[in-house]
Amino acid sequence: MSSFDVGGSTLDVSWFLLLAAILFTLGTIGVLVRRNPLVILICIELMLNAVNLTLIAFSRQLQNIDGQLFALMSMTVAAAEAVVGLAILVDIFRVRDVEDVDDLSEMSG
Amino acid sequence: MAAVIFFVAAALAVIGGIGVIISRQPIRSVLSLVVVMIALSVEFLLLSAQFIFVVQIIVYAGAVMVLFLFVIALLGPARELGRGRLRFQSWLSLLFVAVFFGLIYAMFQGITYRQPDKADLSVFGTVQSIAVGLFTNYLYPFELTSILLLVAAIGAVYLSRRDLR
Repeated sequence: MSSFDVGGSTLDVSWFLLLAAILFTLGTIGVLVRRNPLVILICIELMLNAVNLTLIAFSRQLQNIDGQLFALMSMTVAAAEAVVGLAILVDIFRVRDVEDVDDLSEMSG
Repeated sequence: MAAVIFFVAAALAVIGGIGVIISRQPIRSVLSLVVVMIALSVEFLLLSAQFIFVVQIIVYAGAVMVLFLFVIALLGPARELGRGRLRFQSWLSLLFVAVFFGLIYAMFQGITYRQPDKADLSVFGTVQSIAVGLFTNYLYPFELTSILLLVAAIGAVYLSRRDLR
């Protein structure tokens, strides 16, 4: 019940979901392990993309366009997030060089 | 044929994702992410999401990634040198992420799909069908995203002012 036909061959939705899970996990590893703030932002983009793949896979499985519309909205939010995050980052780098996010601890009091 | 395309694109996406997290230089992470985005756009095409496919390439692989490249060009190549102060956390986080992946995987195994809506698949995911959804059922969220983008643009301009302090 979870498969559908594309161009003569049968694809299974669970393959797409598994790919999305792998990509999301890779993004999580990046956010947790990497220390460069820029790379952390990049890994967040990777996670958002994996979620978009999940939305579109379910949209195709249920033959309901709402999932694609939600993916479109999430792309907009991701673009806004990237813009503001990078602006904050440029602002921080203007004051000093940060090569480890653990150095940015001024707000911890 | 479609299955072959799926697996090639999936392999590219996973390789790109690994490249994102193991590259020492941020610019290589960004270029790996472009590979992931383009591979994912192929997957979107397999899921008959033509419009999202185009948007993915233009907005994500085009605009957002170029933004990242500009910022890297502006800040210079900040490499990750040496070891972090919280080295043990890396290994701990890998353990947690493995458990996390197991949870997601177990969750996907338990999915029961409801009956599909029997949409007309010949127009599914085209610009027209997206627009009909966007301008009827989801007009209010669609207008709200314009406010969101405006706020983000104003915030970015404000944050990058020179005479802030």
